[in-house]
Amino acid sequence: MGAVLRLWPVALLMLAAVALTLGVGVRDLSAGAIWRALTAWDPTDPAQVVLVEIRLPRLATGLVAGAALGLAGCVMQALTRNPLADPGLLGVNAGAAFAVVTGALIIGGSGAGLTAILAFPGAALAAAAVFLLGGGLRGEPGPVRLTLAGVAVSALLYSIVNALVLIRGDALEVFRFWVAGTLAQGLQKPLAEMGLVVLAGWLLTLWLAPLLELLALGRDLARGLGTNPLRVQGGALLAVTLLSGAGVAIAGPIAFLGLIVPPVTRRLAGGDLRRELMVAPFVGASILLLADGAGRLILAPAEVRVGVMTAILGGPVFVWIARSLRPGEAR
Amino acid sequence: MTRGLSLVALLCLVSLLSLTLGEVRMPLADLWQGLTTGEGPGAMTLRVLRGPRLATALGTGAVLGLSGAVFQSLLRNPLAAPDVMGFTAGSGLAVVAALVLGLVLPMPLIAAAGGIAAALVVAVVSWRPGARDNSLTLILVGLGTGFTATGLATFLGLTLGDTMAAEARRWIAGSLAARTWSHAGQVWGIGLILALALALQVRALGLLELGPDLASGLGLRVARARNMLLATAVLLAAAGVAVAGPVPFVALMAGPLGIGLTMARRPGTRLLYAAGAGAAITAGADLLARAAVPGVQLPVGVMTGLLGAPYLLWLLSREFGKGEA
Repeated sequence: MGAVLRLWPVALLMLAAVALTLGVGVRDLSAGAIWRALTAWDPTDPAQVVLVEIRLPRLATGLVAGAALGLAGCVMQALTRNPLADPGLLGVNAGAAFAVVTGALIIGGSGAGLTAILAFPGAALAAAAVFLLGGGLRGEPGPVRLTLAGVAVSALLYSIVNALVLIRGDALEVFRFWVAGTLAQGLQKPLAEMGLVVLAGWLLTLWLAPLLELLALGRDLARGLGTNPLRVQGGALLAVTLLSGAGVAIAGPIAFLGLIVPPVTRRLAGGDLRRELMVAPFVGASILLLADGAGRLILAPAEVRVGVMTAILGGPVFVWIARSLRPGEAR
Repeated sequence: MTRGLSLVALLCLVSLLSLTLGEVRMPLADLWQGLTTGEGPGAMTLRVLRGPRLATALGTGAVLGLSGAVFQSLLRNPLAAPDVMGFTAGSGLAVVAALVLGLVLPMPLIAAAGGIAAALVVAVVSWRPGARDNSLTLILVGLGTGFTATGLATFLGLTLGDTMAAEARRWIAGSLAARTWSHAGQVWGIGLILALALALQVRALGLLELGPDLASGLGLRVARARNMLLATAVLLAAAGVAVAGPVPFVALMAGPLGIGLTMARRPGTRLLYAAGAGAAITAGADLLARAAVPGVQLPVGVMTGLLGAPYLLWLLSREFGKGEA
């Protein structure tokens, strides 16, 4: 029995996140009201309507998006062996948002339904581009090159998204969603479908975990042990695409969550990638929901988008990780 | 020196196009009439509309270009620039914070304080005992500091009312909209003073490029000279941010473009051409941003992002090909 998976901190985090999401907001709900909504549904009680039509969809969005982006961060860090990897920082979220916005402009949809599917090819293209530009195939991409390649791809795609949004000023409110993420308005999103995609991505990452750990020992050794490095890398990129695409499709491009989750799961799971990936969805969901709750409390009654909150939280985490890299690692 | 002429020609071309193109086309004849007689639509364009905007763009680009060239030379890394390393974002954050707190201080002072604070944070956080060449750690820590500053500025911008929110956006993304002659005078005045201070340190910069050991052997007080140069570069970038916000990628691109166009070798001429290239990039990007799509005025920061991001990608792929970085 090597590492023990410590579950109680995760359970506590989840409990706090769910309580904060359901209970706190423009209208505070008591535990009793929540209980009554579950046991004795009464559509004339405004508190119960708030809970079912606003808070529960918000909770579901946060659970799915947080799980997706947290998992995506863990897989990207395992794949690139770069502790600064994150789907937001490495441009994958930007690719998804860019594809959805361009698609919505061409097709003329509202950004729900059909155009949300475009998030997947967008995420896939951006992930592949950053991975190749960062030198992923030919060797280990160094953190500096990979991160800056991601910054450049993000900057390029967000500049285009910004320009498109400004040119089409009429749809500003709809498109602002694709520039900074939010968990609000969960009812209009393809939540169930994306939840299934995230589940598929999760299973894929759990299956890939031992192969990724093998690959981390070196490409030659992995090949010698009967693993095809290209296939493992391709599988990991597919998982990142599914997870980031689904997360962005329902919550918009939220950066930094994939950066914050892996250090936490590493401490909880003690260095075993599969165990890490087992807790990562719960850690990601609770951190995202807690950040969202803080964003609703901090300037109440106004609301700070959760993407802004994760950026404030994630910037210092980025600095802390960057500082702790050994000089030889910072290539 | 003849190669420098190509840069001068580029600057003249961009300036003339900036004055003529836009929502309303302004023929050169009208501009000439406005310049000589002070009357007609050309005079209005020169005096109130496009003239001050162009002058501010040129000044902002020049100070950002100078700043980037000093950083790139000191850290001996083409990726080192005040925008990549978060100093301009620190300046922008300071301005937004001042707007929120209602501080009545001159913009350049606030921006300078923010830029210096960001630089100190980066220097202190990335300091490690015994490490000699830590420019890559500096760049990464600076990148994260920039992310944090931009996040905080976005957050603080939300606490402002709707009327101020548009103003706050300028200090997050960079914009040259609604700039007047006082802005142009400010960036040119402060920029010239700082450029003079930089000119006095050109010899030190040249010695530092030889490496710290050789420089100190030649009688330079290395740490002091380095810190003075870094402070001057941070202040130069802050002077640009104080009028146009943290316009991204200009400082990163200006030095290599200026040197690539002119093949300059001596530190002094390289700085001069970096300033010229920065001015041309900023004015050109602003021209594209306001005239490329009819009826839409994009912020200049969006356009420098469109131009600068491909350059950064090209730079990274080239460095990788050489097996460096």
